Amino acid sequence: MGSFDDVLADIMADIDSVFLFSPNGAFYERFADTDNVVVVAGENTVEAETFVELPIEFTNIKDRIRFGIEGAMDNDLVEEGNTIACFGSIFADDADSAVRVRVSEDLRSGLYDLFTNSRADPNVIRDVFDVALELGRKGQKGSPVGALFVVGDAGKVMNKSRPLSYNPFEKSHVHVGDPIVNVMLKEFSRLDGAFVISDSGKIVSAYRYLEPSAEGIDIPKGLGARHMAGGAITRDTNATAIVLSESDGLVRAFKGGELILELDPEEH
Amino acid sequence: MSVLQVALPDWLAVISTRLWVAAGIVLLGIILGYLTMLMGRRLLHRLGIDDAVEGTAVERAAGEYGTSTVGLITKLAGYFVIVLSVFIAGTFTNIQFADLFLRAAAVFLPQLATALLILVVGIIIGDKIEVLVSERLRGIKLPEIGVIPATARYSVLFVATLIALGQIGVATNALIVLLGAYALALIVFTAIATQELLASGAVGVYLLLTEPYSIGDEVAVAGQQGIVQEIDLFVTRIDTDGEEHIVPNRTVLRDGIVRIQ
Repeated sequence: MGSFDDVLADIMADIDSVFLFSPNGAFYERFADTDNVVVVAGENTVEAETFVELPIEFTNIKDRIRFGIEGAMDNDLVEEGNTIACFGSIFADDADSAVRVRVSEDLRSGLYDLFTNSRADPNVIRDVFDVALELGRKGQKGSPVGALFVVGDAGKVMNKSRPLSYNPFEKSHVHVGDPIVNVMLKEFSRLDGAFVISDSGKIVSAYRYLEPSAEGIDIPKGLGARHMAGGAITRDTNATAIVLSESDGLVRAFKGGELILELDPEEH
Repeated sequence: MSVLQVALPDWLAVISTRLWVAAGIVLLGIILGYLTMLMGRRLLHRLGIDDAVEGTAVERAAGEYGTSTVGLITKLAGYFVIVLSVFIAGTFTNIQFADLFLRAAAVFLPQLATALLILVVGIIIGDKIEVLVSERLRGIKLPEIGVIPATARYSVLFVATLIALGQIGVATNALIVLLGAYALALIVFTAIATQELLASGAVGVYLLLTEPYSIGDEVAVAGQQGIVQEIDLFVTRIDTDGEEHIVPNRTVLRDGIVRIQ
């Protein structure tokens, strides 16, 4: 047993601050006397003073920790060079894991930026993610379906694209997050082209053919035209692109021409 | 008659015949009341009242106490019949003070029952109206729109309360005058304070319905040229090389808009 304790003590030595991921009340109470406790969760149920909101429950533990640390860095809760201990749950609902992380600028992947500092409203981005994940899980009549959502900076995006067909959302005032939208988007995703969504979440258009200059866009090999178009439009405008791949079923987010986040709908 | 008197055992004669009649009436009242509950329940079910009140606050509150709106109304009616029978029975007894008290109550209690019924019906109608109005307004995406269904509901509640209070003889004139004064003051001040917003909102409705220009169009309004980024009820956002101009919608209609093809 001695060696176990030693290893644990080594991992937890010289900690500057403690990050609790979705802690329950009792677990949070145990850290009541500790300084620099940061709670990272979907909702601040324990009424912690320092809190970073998780917009979606990242199943990838790396993403979750990265998001928490980036959020804390942006809010000046931690600084570069700090060592932090993260407690979270991977398998069970209780805290079952401890991770030691050293804060550095390399950790910054733009994940926190994607949700909070995008042109579009954070809620809108989250809603679009929800729609894309749902679409990825269920598909269109059981068969996998692809979709491309361009969120924010809709004016510029509309100017850098052309219609492939009549816009079914013309003169309609539908917003992502409305209950009927999931069904509509599922139907319209059968046809090709991108969905354009404004900063406030209004669905501006469907069936848009994006015409950005794709020069110098570096996206992972093996991804098709849909991802290329999505990535490229985010470099030419201030938009965020959320792409559901038809071939591998993953949801990817692009911002500033770069791949920021990759989610598996089956796990969410 | 004499035969009947002979047939009665001695212990019956101890209590006066009037009391026996009174007891009989109360018993009959209880049976009638119970029947009223049963019939009322069946009638209300047949009328589809239980479907109509589904999901309203009254139904939920009633459900918490292990009953339902239909149960509540029928119980009210049943108890009313029983209480009525007690009054009639009371007139058959010779007890003076009870008679006096019951006479006063006989006038007041039906009014109270009516008032309660009006209140319950008012709450149900108010709830229903709130649901209907909010369903109608679902297409309009405005967080503040939730005020309108609530206002409709409380107006109905207010009227129901006034009628109910009038039933039991409470003077409601002061309440009406007070509310009138409040409403007038509120309307006047709101109109003065929000005239700009109202004007922009009215134009906003026109712009959203007819969409003379839409997101992505290049336009010039009030000397600002750029790409339309967003149109909402009150303002239009126009983007020009990193500058975002937020133009009130009333300016759009007053000065006109130039669409650049």
